[in-house]
Amino acid sequence: MSSLIPLVEKEVKDLLRDPRIYIGLIVPVVILPIIGFTMSAATHSSIESAVGGGVKVAVLDLDKTQTSLSFLKFANTTGLKVFEVKVDTVKEALKELKGNDAKILIVIPKGFESKISSLEGSTLALYFEVKSVGFGEMSTFSAVNRVVKLYSKTLSDTIISSIKPGINPTIVRTPLNTTSYTVIHDRILSMPPEAVFGQLFMGYGIIVPVVLMIVSIMVAQIAATATAVENEEKTLETLLTLPVSRYEILIAKVIGSTVVAVLGTLFSMLGFALYFRILFPLQEISGSAHLGTTALPAPTPQMYLALCLSLLIAIFFTTSLGVIVGALSSDVRISNSLIGAVIIPIMIPAFLIMYGDVRSLPLALQALVYALPVSYPMIIAKNMILSELPVEAVYGIPYSAGVTLLLLLLTSRLLVPEKLLLLQHKILTRRMRRKGEVSEK
Amino acid sequence: MFAVDIQNLVKLFGSVKALDGISFQVEEGEVYGLIGPNGAGKTTMLRILATLLLPTKGSAKVFGLDVVSQASEVRRIIAYLAEEAGAYRNLSGYEYLWIMAKIYFKSRQEAREAVDLAVEASGLGERVHDKVKTYSKGMKRRLQVARVFMAKPRLAILDEPTAGLDVIHANHIRRLVRDYTKEHNTTVIMSSHNMLEVEYICDRVALIDKGKMVAEGSPKELKTMWEASNLEEVFVKVVGVE
Ligand SMILES: Nc1ncnc2c1ncn2[C@@H]1O[C@H](COP(=O)(O)OP(=O)(O)O)[C@@H](O)[C@H]1O
Ligand SMILES: [Mg+2]
Repeated sequence: MSSLIPLVEKEVKDLLRDPRIYIGLIVPVVILPIIGFTMSAATHSSIESAVGGGVKVAVLDLDKTQTSLSFLKFANTTGLKVFEVKVDTVKEALKELKGNDAKILIVIPKGFESKISSLEGSTLALYFEVKSVGFGEMSTFSAVNRVVKLYSKTLSDTIISSIKPGINPTIVRTPLNTTSYTVIHDRILSMPPEAVFGQLFMGYGIIVPVVLMIVSIMVAQIAATATAVENEEKTLETLLTLPVSRYEILIAKVIGSTVVAVLGTLFSMLGFALYFRILFPLQEISGSAHLGTTALPAPTPQMYLALCLSLLIAIFFTTSLGVIVGALSSDVRISNSLIGAVIIPIMIPAFLIMYGDVRSLPLALQALVYALPVSYPMIIAKNMILSELPVEAVYGIPYSAGVTLLLLLLTSRLLVPEKLLLLQHKILTRRMRRKGEVSEK
Repeated sequence: MFAVDIQNLVKLFGSVKALDGISFQVEEGEVYGLIGPNGAGKTTMLRILATLLLPTKGSAKVFGLDVVSQASEVRRIIAYLAEEAGAYRNLSGYEYLWIMAKIYFKSRQEAREAVDLAVEASGLGERVHDKVKTYSKGMKRRLQVARVFMAKPRLAILDEPTAGLDVIHANHIRRLVRDYTKEHNTTVIMSSHNMLEVEYICDRVALIDKGKMVAEGSPKELKTMWEASNLEEVFVKVVGVE
């Protein structure tokens, strides 16, 4: 087994220095924060321009009363740049927008003041002209809506106080409130279930599947590339005549690819972390301060162990598939185009588990879901807050370990040079024949 | 005991007869050449010896070990240079030799000595620390030949070690094969379709055509027997003009 160390060293060194690999590793770390920066900059600037002034709003005041005037003044104090259009119809007013570089028209109807004071209620018509699709547009529109809501609240305060002075208008508006608690494992958490679910979903419903997906695809891709390169550079032939066993060659490939893929996953998680960090201040603005203040009960160590174990088995499973694809490809290009077709169908059942209900699937699909080792990390992740492993996982982990071992064994069978050389010869002669045909034409 | 003992070897690829009943023996310490045109079956022969392919019929033994039933024992005493073999592109030649040395030798001391020797033999100088992907074809081949002899094999199997190389690189490799084998009493079986090269390096040669052996002997014997001034002429006389 001592040959394993130099073999793994060779895999890791050769892979990490391959631009096809290390560019793939670095990209998420660079791209995701850049996307984060761009998005937060765009959103910030549009919010600033919406709240801190600069947004021009046209108003067609058909009422011309004390109340409509006070609305105009109020809007101006919130930072909107309000200007009145002196025309008679909405159509004409909309035409005015263009000349004034504005996108929003507020129409104050006739009888605005009298309907409000007689408690009939009135309606403002807001016209939003859409000129492009982007965050900026969206937030200007919601800024205007916010101003209107705010004014409506002020009006309601005035009305309520005038009807019954000294009363708290808020209680009149919402006389009934609720406080929600969530109960998990006999523990009472003072937070609503949506928030708990949100945290759980973020943790196990998004992070685990994303990690599983990135690792599995990356590891398969890396293993396939590494093996196809051996074919391309004719190094496999040398490797197979060294005083090492086929199993050592295969295990070294699996370990080497896994090490690189885990590194790659850490990199992309770092990328995601930076991305969320950069966007985080925004989430605070949109306000969900109660979230994260109460700690969720931690899953049991057994659950973590089961999750890691099933993830590891899933990784070995997809690596073996990658080695098979790579061994059958005479160069990297072929292996790259094949690997997606092999791995993506295998990932689909795993996603059905997370985002659907397996038991409602047709029986054949259910069987497929339970047959694949990549499904079990999802099954466990979905049930992470339970204190006991779900039954499927209890049987599923040993089962998928068996399937993976079988696949590794099959793969090592395939590494018989007799078969590989025959296969390569076929690919080579077919290609030469094709080239011959082309050059004849 | 012969270093290589081939008895009635047949290899079929579907309906293609790559080897058609070949028998020959190589003595320990000999440099034995297989020559013949493209498609003659040289690579197939050497791959069977290197335990990569299984014979359809007949037997092949390396120092008394059967290449089929004792393949892993055979792999411990051979070193094989594949036709057009490459190395790992992103490793330096030096790193490559180190990794191979760690596989061939159990002790670090032995491995270090082997690497030093191989670096010397490759003649790559300081370039040995550059990445393999920056090497020319000739430099890659020199690295590979150095790797083969570094392993201190009892039998070195070289498939067209100088094919496609310019005179300088080819010459370096030829001299390496000649000198190293004489110094260490290593047995070599090599293929080539350069008959002049074979005449220079090999103690004995076998002429192969269409999977059959058509003549065997030392270059001198063959030339006298066929009244030819070089092996190329011998070959043309044996096989007949194309
Ligand atoms: N892996 C293979 N599968 C099928 N046919 C092969 C394979 N390798 C070689 N052959 C065929 O066997 C014959 C001998 O080839 P080879 O041993 O490579 O000859 P040489 O090395 O002398 O040029 C050729 O006809 C070749 O096409
Ligand atoms: Mg050949």
